[in-house]
Amino acid sequence: MKKLKFTDLLITIMIGVVFGVLMKFWDDLYTVVKPIMPVARQLLYGMWFMVGPFAFLLLRKPGTAFIASIAGASLSAFAGHGIEVLMYGFAQGLAAELLFAAFRYRRYSILIAGLAGVASCLASFGLDLIYGYAALETWALIVKYGLRAISAFIFTGIFAVFIVKALEATGVTSLIRPVDKKEYTMLDQ
Amino acid sequence: MQRVFNWFTPKRETWLFRVNPALKFIVFFAFLIITLVNQSLPFAISQAILYGILFYIFSGYSLKKLLLLSIPLVISFLSTGLTMLLFGKGETVLWQWGLLKISEESIQHALLLGSKSLSFGFVGFTFILTIQPVLFFYAMMQQFRLPSKYAYSFIAAFRLIPAVTEELQIRRNALKVRNIQFSKGFRGIYERLQSYTVPLFAQSIRRAQRIAVAMEAKQYQMGAARTYYYPTRYTGVDMVFLLVMICSLSSAFLLSIYR
Amino acid sequence: MNNISVTDLRLKFPGEDALVFKDLSFSVQSGEKVLMLGPSGCGKSTLLQVLSGIIPNSIELPMKATSIQLPDSWGFVFQDPDTQFCMTYVDEELAFVLENLQVQREEMAPRIEEVLKRVDLHLIDAHTPINEMSQGMKQRLALASVLLLEPDVLFLDEPSALLDPEGTQQIWTSIKEATADKTVIIVEHKIDLIADWVDRVVLFNDHGVILADGSPADIFANFQEELKRYGIWYPGVWEEYKTSDAFQLMMLNRQVVSSQEKIHIEDFHGYRGLVEKISAKHATVQAGDWITIVGENGSGKSTLLLSLMQLLRTNGVYEVNGVAIVWKKKKRQLPKGLSLVFQNPELQFVTNSITEELTVSLHGMPKADADMYAKELMRLFNLPDSVSRHPYQLSTGQKRRLSVATALTPSTDILLLDEPTFGQDARNTFAILEKLEQLRTKGMTILMVTHDTEIVENFATAVWTVVDGVVHTANGVGGAKSV
Ligand SMILES: Nc1ncnc2c1ncn2[C@@H]1O[C@H](COP(=O)(O)OP(=O)(O)OP(=O)(O)O)[C@@H](O)[C@H]1O
Ligand SMILES: Nc1ncnc2c1ncn2[C@@H]1O[C@H](COP(=O)(O)OP(=O)(O)OP(=O)(O)O)[C@@H](O)[C@H]1O
Ligand SMILES: [Mg+2]
Ligand SMILES: [Mg+2]
Repeated sequence: MKKLKFTDLLITIMIGVVFGVLMKFWDDLYTVVKPIMPVARQLLYGMWFMVGPFAFLLLRKPGTAFIASIAGASLSAFAGHGIEVLMYGFAQGLAAELLFAAFRYRRYSILIAGLAGVASCLASFGLDLIYGYAALETWALIVKYGLRAISAFIFTGIFAVFIVKALEATGVTSLIRPVDKKEYTMLDQ
Repeated sequence: MQRVFNWFTPKRETWLFRVNPALKFIVFFAFLIITLVNQSLPFAISQAILYGILFYIFSGYSLKKLLLLSIPLVISFLSTGLTMLLFGKGETVLWQWGLLKISEESIQHALLLGSKSLSFGFVGFTFILTIQPVLFFYAMMQQFRLPSKYAYSFIAAFRLIPAVTEELQIRRNALKVRNIQFSKGFRGIYERLQSYTVPLFAQSIRRAQRIAVAMEAKQYQMGAARTYYYPTRYTGVDMVFLLVMICSLSSAFLLSIYR
Repeated sequence: MNNISVTDLRLKFPGEDALVFKDLSFSVQSGEKVLMLGPSGCGKSTLLQVLSGIIPNSIELPMKATSIQLPDSWGFVFQDPDTQFCMTYVDEELAFVLENLQVQREEMAPRIEEVLKRVDLHLIDAHTPINEMSQGMKQRLALASVLLLEPDVLFLDEPSALLDPEGTQQIWTSIKEATADKTVIIVEHKIDLIADWVDRVVLFNDHGVILADGSPADIFANFQEELKRYGIWYPGVWEEYKTSDAFQLMMLNRQVVSSQEKIHIEDFHGYRGLVEKISAKHATVQAGDWITIVGENGSGKSTLLLSLMQLLRTNGVYEVNGVAIVWKKKKRQLPKGLSLVFQNPELQFVTNSITEELTVSLHGMPKADADMYAKELMRLFNLPDSVSRHPYQLSTGQKRRLSVATALTPSTDILLLDEPTFGQDARNTFAILEKLEQLRTKGMTILMVTHDTEIVENFATAVWTVVDGVVHTANGVGGAKSV
């Protein structure tokens, strides 16, 4: 696996920042849904875990999930969510990164990406626990974080993988991923 | 010096503006961690009051803007508090209706959570309102040895935000004009996500790549020594800031013990 | 200082079958000034990036070469002025370069001031947002950063494409002064000012093969045939074109098309934010007019077109086809029949492929017809016939032509064009102009921003001059052939 070049780094951070902007818009939707439909609200929560796994699926290089997650959180912080989101960005990014690392950064499937999302969800649960959010009745706790984990899987697994596929179709990924060996052999025509 | 959004222009620049932004960040961040791990209600409340003073009196913004910013704070206070109040664990039940249950413990917990989220909001906003991103990154490089590759990547990416939001708007209009309908449920969410994000990411990635290339063409090298256009250093204000913050936190702590 | 060379270079883009270069060998002696000439899309920009090491160090492309020798210290002016800055303000951007060179902070401000003078970029305050500058001003800034670097080798990819005539002169004077003993490798279509200065001219055909390589005198005297065949600019190309049958025939048919009034303007103002940036007292445009809009960089030409398109806030009397247009903030409707080609072609693209881009606004046309229509335009504008290629994966000249082609929809009767011919080789320039003229004789109205005096003299029916945000109309003047 290759180290991050400066171009990779800037692109990773850019992805994080774009996600930050998207999340700002998402937040509007989320705030509307929040009070009226607690279930739907948890199901939409997965968006917050998407940035890290998405960046990794796109660039396929170590470190991208973690860095993009922090970048996304920083933008959210600057856009008015407050710097505490940095802690969440840090923990969630780290969890996703570790999961990809556990598979030696070689697996890009729905399952692995989805698991990375669930890992992020677990990490944020850990922070919530310390914070005190988790002192709910056990049933409420299970419903809340269960739905959240499902949503994490759907967003980071299914949605992220499909969006990356759609991006591949636009040719942009060929600029940023390591070039296929096959392409080099095509030079000998 | 540009702020991320133009709206963030203060009425007057208080002493908080002159504190070294990197120091301010570290101190505020440390305070947030204290808030995070604290489980004592009185301490949480006195912290919220302390940070409230910082936010309302020393951020230098007009009352109108501050009140506007308070709206999300109040909402998050209520929503975190209410969930905990109604669904929280507790033995001494005061009121129950089906699954909803209010107990003494859940009231305590709700107040604790509410104060914590207020503190988070106050500190977070005070920080954002009193720094300038570019200077913040310059300070992080000079005072805390943040590698320049991260600092400039952030600066460059932040610079592109207006273009990103603009594109998002254009996309929104275009989808409206062409009367595109989305399906219902998760499928619809995916369609929506996809039609907004794909062009946006394709564009942003290309742009980011070209800018990175241009930066390297300007002889930027990761890890190389460099000088800085904006000097950022520690001054007397920083001492004052540290003292004030430590004193107020300790007094908040003492107050919460010897009520 | 070392030489630059590459032997047996092979290079392609991922996902494409054809090679951009096949066994290309090329070298430059230290201190040489080299001009690369070739048709649009032949690979000039790509080659510059290989010679500087950007490919493959920063952008990985499938390539190989038996040997390659890169420069140690180099600077690069890129073709697109919108994506080469990383900071928000002019002074910060230039300071970024100085920081990289580890210049002491006290020296920075004077050096920034000095270099801005050298590229003739006059700002009230160097702390000006880059976003708020015109394209030509950005190009000057790009050059300023490179001059600050003082590199041994300069790669210039069309550094004057967007500059006004005076600015072009100025820029080349400063480049010549600054680089007397340096290596300079230039790609440029506007060659009048440098044809005598360079030591060497290298001629490419449209497949990235070197046709000829020699002194300017030699090339321009002995390779006329090739220059013409591949449609490359050379001194005197316009004179020749003007004697051609195609041009003569066109000029014979230059009658006034109609006297129907298309646009009427009275006391019209356009704003960027709260600041008024353009104003016009009185102007009218008739069907079949071809109005060229000229003026210095930053004078407000693009602002005028954006205002007419209602993309900026405006007020005053403005009628299109007799319909009064009133600016609305919400639920804005763009004036009917008007079509705008942005100065930056990338702003034009909304879809993911070339064909889609050309057919997306042909509402109601059957698919087969639409595809035919797209094919025809692609042939006319010399665009690569690739099904899956994204509009961004084109050379700058090709992007420009595609963006012009997208505006030529059947429902358009007034065309607003912002420098539609910049970065074009001779053949494509004439192709665009001839297509526009053909549309004009059928009643199309054209308002076109350009810096090219030949176009103004030979094609305009009227010239508007923009000076410091004020439009001066002088119907008939300069538009020699308006009968
Ligand atoms: N990302 C890409 N993917 C596939 N093909 C590409 C890509 N970028 C450029 N090309 C093709 O490679 C060829 C060379 O492009 P290049 O930009 O080097 O041309 P150029 O000679 O600089 O042209 P111009 O004068 O128009 O700027 C062009 O035919 C272009 O269509
Ligand atoms: N986005 C913007 N915000 C504010 N001011 C702007 C913006 N874009 C351009 N300007 C200013 O408006 C004036 C006119 O700019 P405009 O782009 O219309 O010039 P132009 O005549 O098209 O120049 P060029 O030949 O370089 O393209 C300039 O002074 C420029 O600094
Ligand atoms: Mg080019
Ligand atoms: Mg312009």
